Amino acid sequence: MMTYIVFILSVIFVIGFVGFSSKPSPIYGGLVLIVSGGVGCGIIMNFGGSFLGLMVFLIYLGGMLVVFGYTTAMATEQYPEVWVSNATVMGVFLLGLLMEVMLVLYVLKSEEVGVVFKFSSVGDWAIYDIGNSGVFSEEIMGVAALYRYGAWVVVVTGWSLLVGVLVILEVTRGD
Amino acid sequence: MNPLILTIILMTVFLGTMIVMASSHWLMIWIGFEMNLLAIIPILMKKYSPRAMEASTKYFLTQATASMLLMMAIIINLMHSGQWTITKVFNPTASIIMTLALAMKLGLTPFHFWVPEVTQGISLTSGLILLTWQKLAPMSILYQISPSINLNILLTMAVLSILVGGWGGLNQTQLRKIMAYSSIAHMGWMTAILVYNPTLTMLNMLIYIMMTLTMFMLFIHSSSTTTLSLSHTWNKAPLITTLILITLLSMGGLPPLSGFMPKWMIIQELTKNSSIILPTLMAIMALLNLYFYTRLTYSTSLTMFPSTNNMKMKWQFETKQITLLPPLIIASSLLLPLTPMLSILD
Repeated sequence: MMTYIVFILSVIFVIGFVGFSSKPSPIYGGLVLIVSGGVGCGIIMNFGGSFLGLMVFLIYLGGMLVVFGYTTAMATEQYPEVWVSNATVMGVFLLGLLMEVMLVLYVLKSEEVGVVFKFSSVGDWAIYDIGNSGVFSEEIMGVAALYRYGAWVVVVTGWSLLVGVLVILEVTRGD
Repeated sequence: MNPLILTIILMTVFLGTMIVMASSHWLMIWIGFEMNLLAIIPILMKKYSPRAMEASTKYFLTQATASMLLMMAIIINLMHSGQWTITKVFNPTASIIMTLALAMKLGLTPFHFWVPEVTQGISLTSGLILLTWQKLAPMSILYQISPSINLNILLTMAVLSILVGGWGGLNQTQLRKIMAYSSIAHMGWMTAILVYNPTLTMLNMLIYIMMTLTMFMLFIHSSSTTTLSLSHTWNKAPLITTLILITLLSMGGLPPLSGFMPKWMIIQELTKNSSIILPTLMAIMALLNLYFYTRLTYSTSLTMFPSTNNMKMKWQFETKQITLLPPLIIASSLLLPLTPMLSILD
């Protein structure tokens, strides 16, 4: 099973996406997003990107999704929609599930993953392996470089985020 | 709006355009465009009416789509050249996508549909910023990638823009829509000469900004947004009618005024490059623009429109102060004798 772990994780990933794309209430969408985020993190870690996976958990799930969950909880209705609540959501979910199952069967039958991943003239650009220096991790060095050589980028993006918050508050103030 | 917030947001609009114009890394340019877009949304929504909300939403959607196309072109360029500098776009696909993305940002045909609707839904001051400042950033990027732009696509879009800008403005009585169609046509003139001589694009941009600034200032002074209310300016401030006449004729490209300079130079450059039918067509289609400008001058300064008697005797309230109007008037009408100075540019 370990040889197919990436494949299994990516199937769970896609099923998660189907789960929230069929548009139940946002609370359930956030729930499925947690599962998808964790599983996606597992996929990245299988390719050696342990730092990136940690960032996904900390920043994405632990920061952004928490804030999203709180705001949705403030704005939610009394009986939120579940996947089985009306025919539309159920139908879309089942359709997506069916398409995923058929794709999985096709890939397993034809013994090639080429139909799913087609990086034709890019070569090995898709998988950026961690360099084998062995002494220190390049990813942490990248973060350090961001704050030294890329100081202007940090200033600009930080300012953009601040102005983004101001703009959102200004737009939703309404009068 | 809270003055502090307004200052911060205007500063961010300025900073976004400056980042676009001064960066050599494609990612920073994209960040500059996004910062500009983000910060101009509350300026467009100053009025808090559903019309302004709809206009800001349309502007946001089109500009965000254009930014996404630009990002895709940047990544294709990165894939084929391996570097992020802005000197030359190495792949024809990336160049075409980038040209289309920047045309969407400028409002060239066939991506011109948002310009009249957005300009109409917002206040005159916001429309001023939209039609002048927001054109600087995409035009600067077009200037920098001009050696690698596909000529056919750009010339097609330019000629169609001049056509649409002329024909679309013919049936309009709303002044903001007239200015929007005039902007589409002028962008067409600017991008037509971009591949042959980018300096003239910048010259045309400069003169266009002066003239549009002047027109908007005059409209703001008389608080008029329709042709009918503009036709009452002879009562409020008779001098404004003369200035409107001069500036509108300059926008139409009539010879003794400075609006003639970019058109003349562009036609000269195009004929130097052995294309004769194209500048002839462009000059003929500029007549459509001239027609609705002269129609505006007819109703404003040349005749006194029929109006009820109480419109003929208006109270004089406190007049608004127009920023920098005298230099703008001179810049938009009397610069033609300075044309030989263009020889100092390369």
